[in-house]
Amino acid sequence: MNALALSVLPRPMRLLQRYDDGEDARHFTFQLEDIRAEDAGMMPGQFFMLVLPGCGEAPFTYVSRPDDQGRFSALIRRMGKLTEALFELQPGEVLGYRGPFGQGWPRFYGKQRILAVAGGCGLAPLAGFIEDVARTRSGTHLQVIYGARHVGARVLSRERARWSGALPLIETLDQAGPGHRQGTPLAHFDTVFGQAPPDAVLCCGPEVLMEAAARECLGRGLRADQIWLSVERRMHCGVGLCGHCYVGDSYACRDGPTYRYDRYRELLRRSGCARELDRGELRHC
Amino acid sequence: MIEVVPSICSYCGVGCGLGLRVQGDRIIGVEPQSGHPVSQGQLCAKGWSTSFAVDPAQRLVHPLIKERGAFREAGWDETLDLVAEKFREALADGGPTAVGVISCARATNEDNYAAQKFARAVLKTHNIDHCARICHSPSVAGLARTLGSGAMTNGIVDIDLADLILVIGADVTENHAMIGARILRAQDRGAKLIVVDPRKTRLARLADWHLQLRLGTNIALINGLLHIIFAQGWEARDFLDRRCADADALRRHVAGIALDEVVALTGVPEDQLRAVAHAYSHAKAAFLAYGMGITQFQSGTNNVIAVSNLALSCGQIGRPGTGINPLRGQNNVQGACDMGCLPNVFPGYQDVADPAHAAKFTQAWNTSLPTAPGLTSLGMTKAALAGDFRALMILGEDPVLTDPDQNHVARSLAALDFLVVVETAMTETAKLADVVLPAAAFAEKDGSFTNCERRVQRVRRAVPPPGEARTDWQILGALAQRLGQPGLRWPDAEAIFDEMVGLSPMFSAMSYAKLDRHHGLQWPCDGEHPEGSPLLHAERFPLGKARLLPVSQVAPAEVPDADYPFAFTTHRLHFHYGCGSMTRRSPLLERETPTGLLFMHPDDGRGMGLREGQGVRVSSRRGVLETRVHLTDDVPAGTVAMPYHFKEAPCNRLTNDAQDPSTKMPELKACAVAVTALPPGQAPRRLEFDEPAHERL
Amino acid sequence: MNAYELNSVEALRAHLAADRRLYEPRPDGQGGLHWQTVAADDAQAFEPGLEPPPFSAKAFFFPEREAMFRFERGRFVAVEPEPEAFTLFGLRACDLTAIAYQDRFFARDGHYQARREAALLVGMDCAASCTGGFCAALGSGPAVGDGLADLVLIPGASWRLLVNTAAGRAAVSGLDLKPAPRDWTRAREQTRQQAAAEQGDAAPLLAGIAALNAGRVPPQTWEALGPRCLGCSGCTSVCPTCSCFAPLDLPTDGGLRRERVWDSCLYEGFQKEASGHNGSPSPGDRVRRYWFHKFGDGFKREFGRYGCVGCGRCDRVCPGGIGARVVLKRLGGA
Ligand SMILES: Cc1cc2nc3c(=O)[nH]c(=O)nc-3n(C[C@H](O)[C@H](O)[C@H](O)COP(=O)(O)OP(=O)(O)OC[C@H]3O[C@@H](n4cnc5c(N)ncnc54)[C@H](O)[C@@H]3O)c2cc1C
Ligand code: SF4
Ligand code: FES
Repeated sequence: MNALALSVLPRPMRLLQRYDDGEDARHFTFQLEDIRAEDAGMMPGQFFMLVLPGCGEAPFTYVSRPDDQGRFSALIRRMGKLTEALFELQPGEVLGYRGPFGQGWPRFYGKQRILAVAGGCGLAPLAGFIEDVARTRSGTHLQVIYGARHVGARVLSRERARWSGALPLIETLDQAGPGHRQGTPLAHFDTVFGQAPPDAVLCCGPEVLMEAAARECLGRGLRADQIWLSVERRMHCGVGLCGHCYVGDSYACRDGPTYRYDRYRELLRRSGCARELDRGELRHC
Repeated sequence: MIEVVPSICSYCGVGCGLGLRVQGDRIIGVEPQSGHPVSQGQLCAKGWSTSFAVDPAQRLVHPLIKERGAFREAGWDETLDLVAEKFREALADGGPTAVGVISCARATNEDNYAAQKFARAVLKTHNIDHCARICHSPSVAGLARTLGSGAMTNGIVDIDLADLILVIGADVTENHAMIGARILRAQDRGAKLIVVDPRKTRLARLADWHLQLRLGTNIALINGLLHIIFAQGWEARDFLDRRCADADALRRHVAGIALDEVVALTGVPEDQLRAVAHAYSHAKAAFLAYGMGITQFQSGTNNVIAVSNLALSCGQIGRPGTGINPLRGQNNVQGACDMGCLPNVFPGYQDVADPAHAAKFTQAWNTSLPTAPGLTSLGMTKAALAGDFRALMILGEDPVLTDPDQNHVARSLAALDFLVVVETAMTETAKLADVVLPAAAFAEKDGSFTNCERRVQRVRRAVPPPGEARTDWQILGALAQRLGQPGLRWPDAEAIFDEMVGLSPMFSAMSYAKLDRHHGLQWPCDGEHPEGSPLLHAERFPLGKARLLPVSQVAPAEVPDADYPFAFTTHRLHFHYGCGSMTRRSPLLERETPTGLLFMHPDDGRGMGLREGQGVRVSSRRGVLETRVHLTDDVPAGTVAMPYHFKEAPCNRLTNDAQDPSTKMPELKACAVAVTALPPGQAPRRLEFDEPAHERL
Repeated sequence: MNAYELNSVEALRAHLAADRRLYEPRPDGQGGLHWQTVAADDAQAFEPGLEPPPFSAKAFFFPEREAMFRFERGRFVAVEPEPEAFTLFGLRACDLTAIAYQDRFFARDGHYQARREAALLVGMDCAASCTGGFCAALGSGPAVGDGLADLVLIPGASWRLLVNTAAGRAAVSGLDLKPAPRDWTRAREQTRQQAAAEQGDAAPLLAGIAALNAGRVPPQTWEALGPRCLGCSGCTSVCPTCSCFAPLDLPTDGGLRRERVWDSCLYEGFQKEASGHNGSPSPGDRVRRYWFHKFGDGFKREFGRYGCVGCGRCDRVCPGGIGARVVLKRLGGA
């Protein structure tokens, strides 16, 4: 069996526990039966394929990295067939796992100022990154803006509670009640940029939000190569073969899902989406 | 190792050629047949997905007997003994008028021949029908009165010869894709395309003229066109003189029509009517095709007559590139009719009431035959509800899903003493049966299909049937034997075909060997036409002279009002077929299903504050269902449409069973509904079949 | 590379068929032309005709439905293909180029490679162009490129045989082959030029490719092509380099079997996400994607050549009449 044959055969993992964490979203803990070096070496922003026998498989990001027992967690929103069935499963059931796949967020060294912008469930792919910074105290200055539709729609409640002590976290809501910040994440860029512009911006959320955030950053003087996005595409294989996740001539599962914004734009341009890019109204390629 | 077995696509009436790719006992895919006269090496999405539909993983593989509400597997002998006993009881109890067979427009000609012979020679009843009732019986009835024959008058290749193509009430690129594609290519080479349809279909969007008439105003529109044609003297006078009887009645009838009323009624501007009337009447060869947008109305037969009037008045028939061409739905609906799976005719459209025909079949089948007239499938349903029907056999049909007014159908089936369903997979109808018999699918048997242009084509056994499944004709033969009639035990499909050919003059020169040689033959194929008949009515009509019959606009039985403000119509999606039992097994086609199934114009959506994909409740005087809305200008404002493939949202719970008086064709294409929004974020509820819709909601 | 005179192609075929299963394109009498098994004692003459089989050889290596693993009693069990050795006899230059392309694409795919290793490829120069082919414009024919096949048949006044590889040499051992005269390449080149010339002017096609990569195709062009695509999946099925697939879980007696099945990027659902968001929502977007995948410079950079080999199959199979030839001409403004 060559390397690829290995990565297409799922490995068994068990569902350990789960709790509700946001609207139609749950926090799941899984345990891999046999752990490999690559599991523990996973980079935040990478993803794994979760196999639910009979329902196919789907990509999810790691909220936490597999530990020495093979335990890791993910935040999963109920969307369609597989996630529906997953929400019905009892702890102890056997699932399949393949991964880790894709390119994670870039690594930052030294005293850089990083801004993470997340919308809705887009906080999940950034969670590992935020966690690492909060834990290692490497000197990196990380600020997080997290936007959600309303109070109940916010995910990763336990993680957010932990982070809010360790780093500046701005939470904002589309429909805010008393005692909450109102508006999209962009509404708070003044606050963040006011102190000193970030050296790098990581965005994850609905594509309209990421695109708007990236443009806002450009408008505030950042270069496109200082901005990263995590792009969502339908995925099946995770290894650049099935073709579903294309973004121009790249495959999001292999070359993404995180893309540097200048490269992302170049991909779109090269595959004929130039008009959409120029008009500023992003349609997807 | 792969072997390729040439066959015919089993999804629709176009009858494309395909090669089944066989690996061991499995069909893993298809290849195109580049030399096939109909498909020329092309296929539509359904044809390409054939391997999923015939996948044994989801098939019925054992006979099933229902006991205390649950099915158990049983042996063939036990099951057939039971079925025979139940039919014997039903016959003893209610006589031959209380039993019947509903055959299958998807099964082979051989299966259909066996089904009608079983009904007539074994059960002694003419209660035999198939699902054409919900597609094209008005074509048969209407064209019988005007021309004398109800099939496509021309062939599919004639599209290549036309300089104008007129499509009425047919979503051709989606439902008869390879005909639609041929029309698009004809347009590419310069032919003009006119589409008459209340919806903006793909073809309508690409057409030179799209007459977007109001739902159910076909006759008004056609009479309007005829008014213009006669007023301008654009009619084909010579053709009318030579080939038609009495044009005067029609001439007088349409002369009395006021054009501004036509415009008001149809919503089509006068200049469009004039342009189209001119183009159609002046074309050198105009190919007219129509579909269920003509037939599925209470006025279906009259709609067909109106279409016929138009073509005859302009002399656009009887020549290459012209014709009146009904596009039939299921792959072998033509064959099911040809084989006599109709209550009033033996195979080859030989009237059962004609003593000479009855005598011929009595002698050939060596048994007495019924004299009482038979019931249509809807007639059988009604008889069952009235408590006058005992036992029914349904072959490969799913009326619970596809018939109008589904509650009614389910109730009538429940009222039977005994229901046996012969099927390839578990369907909503099969779930209601007392006995379910596993049938072989098309790729598992030899036989023939007849496409919409009357081409009889061979299908071949590529793989064995899964488990214990058998062909319909084998099942019927074994059952007939148990009921004391050995005359249905044929050695093979060819023997059935030969028996049929021997008894049906219009097929008399056909044989399997000849079908193979010619890639299929178009009937009539007899001594006079040994190579078949690509073109009908070149010299004369079956009636001698064709008849022009004045008809008048009839509004649909139910029109929108204050309580039910939307006009409601049904349609089909390209990627799905019939009730979806085949197509939805393809992961690729299943994925194409739109989230929203109620098609509504964006203006109406805005008026109701609906968002794309929002849950809605749709109700009519007959039923209620919930689904999601899809906002699209495919439909005009004021009209909503729903595809009928989805058992989670069975739209036929809403439709009307008002019937065409001459064919009993139900009015599936038009009724009135009310739409209310579900709160945003609330998912529509799925309806389960064993729960009557009214109680559930 | 060695060239020999070949007195009888049938004798060579019989020799090869004696060792391994041999497939050759054969008409089925019902309008089809398919790769079919030919036995060693098959007496039928080798008459390749002008047209390539409508189905390329792709399915031999990347079948349209293939089991990947089973799930039984809580375990995932790999299903490994166990291909028997086989020979494809009479592969044309375009199809061989496509196989080389897919060899690269599937370089790390165990299933593909297992089947590929079981195959002996016998190529054939085209004596004349097929209708609709444009391999010459894309450098993939009409003569078989170097190193693409184990053996190559060269038509002419009489057949010649090229032996390219060790596997090819082993396969013909035992046959009495006489070396071809020195100038065999000249005759071959002549045939190649003649067949290439039959394909007509390549300029309009190349102009289309250039326009595409220069970003000179206006969006309206794609939107006009969109409705002509009926989403049938014919082009992706017959295209010898298309490789997209979808997973399919099928229940089995004690668990399930996962298959991968051919997919098509022209289906609306291909990129549809659970939320309803779609990376390529309009038919025009998808048609554009298809042609960028075949003619985009980005892919050429990765795979050493364009994904299109000019076999003309998409033009033949497309119900809407928007295959490569038609589309390229339109993009190029011809
Ligand atoms: C890199 C990446 C990371 C993701 N991480 C998370 C996460 O941490 N938490 C979370 O809740 N969701 C995440 N998603 C989205 C998640 O994959 C989809 O919500 C999920 O696939 C829906 O599957 P389903 O079977 O319920 O839906 P269905 O509509 O039934 O989808 C069927 C199949 O299509 C594919 N598919 C459908 N939608 C998507 C999609 N949006 N993205 C990728 N494949 C899709 C999957 O293979 C899926 O099994 C991520 C997506 C990507 C691409
Ligand atoms: S048009 Fe009809 S017969 Fe032809 S491939 Fe499609 S479904 Fe099959
Ligand atoms: S998920 Fe298959 S190529 Fe990316």
